Amino acid sequence: MVVTREEVKHLGWLAKLEMSDAELQRYTAQIEEIISYLNMLDTIPLEQVKPIAMKKKFSELRKDAPENFEDAVLGTRYRKDGFVKGPRMV
Amino acid sequence: MATTTKIGLEIHCQLTGAKSKLFCRCSSDYRGKAPNANICPICAGLPGTLPLLNQKTVEFAAMITLALGCKFPDDIAFYRKNYFYPDLPKNFQLTQYNAYSITSIGVDGKLEYGNGKDARIRRVQLEEDPGRLVYASGSMDTSVYVLIDYNRAGMPLVEIVTEPDFADPKDVRMFLDKITSIIEHLGVCDTKLEGSVRCDANVSIDGGNKVEIKNISSFADVEKALRYEITRQRTMASREIQVRSETRHWDDARKVTKESRTKEEEQDYRYFPEPDIPMVLLGSEFVSFIRQSMPELPDTRKERFMSKYGLSAHIAQVLIGNKELADFFESTLMIYLSPKEIANWIVTDLMSFVDERQKKEEDKQYLLFAGLKVGPEHIADLARLVDQETINRATAKQILGQIVRTGEMPSALAKKMHASRIDDASVLAQAVQSVFQKEQAAVHDARRNANVANFLLGKVMKITKGTADPKIALEMIQKKLKED
Amino acid sequence: MPLPLYTLEAGQVVEGIKNREFSAEEYISQLLGRIEKVEPKVNAFVTLNKEEGLNRARMLDKKIRDGEQSGPLAGVALSIKDNICTKGMKTTCASKMLESYIPAYDATVIKRLMSAGAIIIGKANLDEFAMGSTTEFSRHGPTRNPWDISRVSGGSSGGSAASVAALECTASLGSDTGGSVRCPASFCSVVGLKPTYGLVSRFGLVSYANSLEQIGPVGRTVSDVVSILNVIAGSDENDHTTINSNKPTYSLQERKGLRAGLVMEFTEGADPGVSKMIYNAADTLEKQGCKCEEVSLPSVQYALASYYTIATAEASSNLARYDNIRYGFDMNPEGYEWNSYFAKARSNFGEEAKRRIIVGSYVLSSGYYGKYYLKAHQVRSLLKHEMETLFKRYDVLIGPTMPILPFKIGERIDDPLKMYLVDIDTVVANLTGMPAISVPAGFADGLPVGLQIMADQFAEQTMLDIAYLFEQAAKVQRSSEL
Repeated sequence: MVVTREEVKHLGWLAKLEMSDAELQRYTAQIEEIISYLNMLDTIPLEQVKPIAMKKKFSELRKDAPENFEDAVLGTRYRKDGFVKGPRMV
Repeated sequence: MATTTKIGLEIHCQLTGAKSKLFCRCSSDYRGKAPNANICPICAGLPGTLPLLNQKTVEFAAMITLALGCKFPDDIAFYRKNYFYPDLPKNFQLTQYNAYSITSIGVDGKLEYGNGKDARIRRVQLEEDPGRLVYASGSMDTSVYVLIDYNRAGMPLVEIVTEPDFADPKDVRMFLDKITSIIEHLGVCDTKLEGSVRCDANVSIDGGNKVEIKNISSFADVEKALRYEITRQRTMASREIQVRSETRHWDDARKVTKESRTKEEEQDYRYFPEPDIPMVLLGSEFVSFIRQSMPELPDTRKERFMSKYGLSAHIAQVLIGNKELADFFESTLMIYLSPKEIANWIVTDLMSFVDERQKKEEDKQYLLFAGLKVGPEHIADLARLVDQETINRATAKQILGQIVRTGEMPSALAKKMHASRIDDASVLAQAVQSVFQKEQAAVHDARRNANVANFLLGKVMKITKGTADPKIALEMIQKKLKED
Repeated sequence: MPLPLYTLEAGQVVEGIKNREFSAEEYISQLLGRIEKVEPKVNAFVTLNKEEGLNRARMLDKKIRDGEQSGPLAGVALSIKDNICTKGMKTTCASKMLESYIPAYDATVIKRLMSAGAIIIGKANLDEFAMGSTTEFSRHGPTRNPWDISRVSGGSSGGSAASVAALECTASLGSDTGGSVRCPASFCSVVGLKPTYGLVSRFGLVSYANSLEQIGPVGRTVSDVVSILNVIAGSDENDHTTINSNKPTYSLQERKGLRAGLVMEFTEGADPGVSKMIYNAADTLEKQGCKCEEVSLPSVQYALASYYTIATAEASSNLARYDNIRYGFDMNPEGYEWNSYFAKARSNFGEEAKRRIIVGSYVLSSGYYGKYYLKAHQVRSLLKHEMETLFKRYDVLIGPTMPILPFKIGERIDDPLKMYLVDIDTVVANLTGMPAISVPAGFADGLPVGLQIMADQFAEQTMLDIAYLFEQAAKVQRSSEL
């Protein structure tokens, strides 16, 4: 088995995605097929090839000048005294 | 029971010296602002926003890299550390990572921190601070919801990681003092601001498992936390219980390290390079620029104080130990050039007036000399008066004691006092007369042996309770010796 | 009987309004009428901007009456893919996770288009978070192909292409990560362009795969696409991946004597009906003075694997921010522990989005970095090198945009890998960062076929030259009356 149901479940936990048993079942089969396809990358002898990277000069970076963002940023109505309300921590 | 202890440090220093955040234009001055009043779409993690790397923070991080003797890579990159947490607006942290190739701003350095000891620096990197979680009921355990403030999210941090080269918490303290001195001299971080410098530590004894200690809120607490943890580990070892490799939290209230609350499935950060931030080319021109433009490091300043001004190593060390002292010293020299004299006045006399509390790390909030009404001009004036022998040292001390409270210029005060001293001339003559009468044997000896005059002088000083000007008194004595 | 205003090209709209042949208000009203008529069949829009659209039209009319200067796109009505942020206007990415999201800022491209006088008539439907090739993964239902409403419009910018083909707007703005502008353009017989990576700002484009995507224009003619590109292209201080250079301007010119390489791997992998059209297109180009020769791009065989590794990896991280805490849909956090809240909120992603997040997390997970992600990036270098070698001898590379004709809605929806395979011709341009355009090549079995033209980085002008040359010669129908 390329990808097991347990692995998909663990990845779901890592990615904070709640999945029903039916979903888990369906996705595991599909994801296994996809990963099998992606495994072809492993067969290519590419050790010598350097990945291309975009480069920027130090002089092109953003200058350190502060600016206030005037408009409202947050879109939730669950607030308290300016804080954003979130679920409890434990 | 000799044990070998290995301590490593992970220091986080907020670049409060930068005016804006690491990846957005929000002000870095977030302290004291209303919750979520210092945010923008970028640091709040809104969809469609892109990180914009702050040039100044790269400059500052490079200065720290040089100060710690680290090497630069040819270019630097940022990585995403992917995990979920309510204080993380994007649910990943932008940081630097060296596992695949060296991309952090500095690696492989070394810092001498005192007593001939040094510690190796594994790496220096830039990363962003998360937001802040607040609990309505005061504690994480009892709050039914959490309150989130993103004002701090995106603040620039420099992380300094050392090798486990420390064997004693005292050494750690010395090292942290040195680090503080360096970052203050570089002007990258105001260490007096709350939470601007934090330190996590890791400890192992006798080659055993390593324990990480997090949540230490100030440098001062690091020593305490380490002592506690070392004792804990030693106790376990003596009972032949194996120390577990884990992360513990420092409980500041109860002064203990506690097991971490959550036992989670293994975290996997899935690091990969941030596609929205191109690699930044450094190169030798950049390094030269940093070297030339960065402020003087404390050690360099100490060397300069010793070679240029002839100060002793000890005095120079005290001055650079606190940037404020060193700055005060040099400002004074600009008015009146008398280095040794002025250094002494600052280090010995002026410091004695500083509130004892100010000197203690934990309560350091203000400038050292905040409560005193003297500035460099006062000390310069005082030193000049003493050098020109207008007043004696004892008088000068007296004057200092007064002007720290009033802010009067010493020369003004001295003039007032001199006026009253003219009246004292006759009192002095009487004192000399009285001594000559009492110490006739000495007087007789003094006529043959000039040195004995000093003995007589001593007596005069005693009678006048030290208020006599010794120079004038000695003159009078010598004159009188010649006369009779 | 004059043609309805909604059939006009962008240039004609701008001229007509400026010369007061008709008013902007008239034009927008007609479009809105057209939309009302055909939307039930096409389903190209998520949100319509009726009030604001008419307001802006009236404001433009006043400006014209007052003799004031109007911009190069004044009066042009655009549909904007709903993953591009429009301030004050809902931007949902066709996802429940952004159900009630109203951006606090405009994307840079939007600012530039508005400055040029364009009017946003609505937000266009897409596959959720731009992940898909048919617009079937939208929670607002699929967008249907105006040429045959039982078939897919292509994706992920299906709404963009369909609205243009169905004459619901003058032109559109989409985004292209693995072919998402070109695929629907091909399926809907319109023109769709993906610029060189870094030519157009992504500030305000909701990220799916940031190292691959670009915002691109969709129009009924090459000329319309050029007009829009000229407004949106150019470096942006809010996007550090844009190239620092002078603002580019592109023109329409028919250049003869250029050379095109016909990529074998693309034609051989396509349906016979499709490849026949492409060979015809090559003949047309030859007759117009553009030499066509067959060429090979061997690394194409790895392109899809590379694309889906990088895209899912980046997506899994880009989509992490949707935890419903700061924006999303209404779900009270009280009563939940945070892990449960996050997991429950995020269970509202659609199927395809969830799948890609899992696959992306897999390829990035501990120990797999070298096996998948790094290798995928090396394939990018390999492809780029191969194409650069070809561009020394050829001005452009051509082939079919899609290997197949538009298929029936629902046909591939249960087979993700089968769905991914349709991207084989388009992902190469995203992987190499090179520009590519799809122009209508004709119809096979009554269904649209698109000709894809690719050029070297920042060689948009050359690519547009060939596109224009072909368009003027082929004269393919590009709008459906429905």
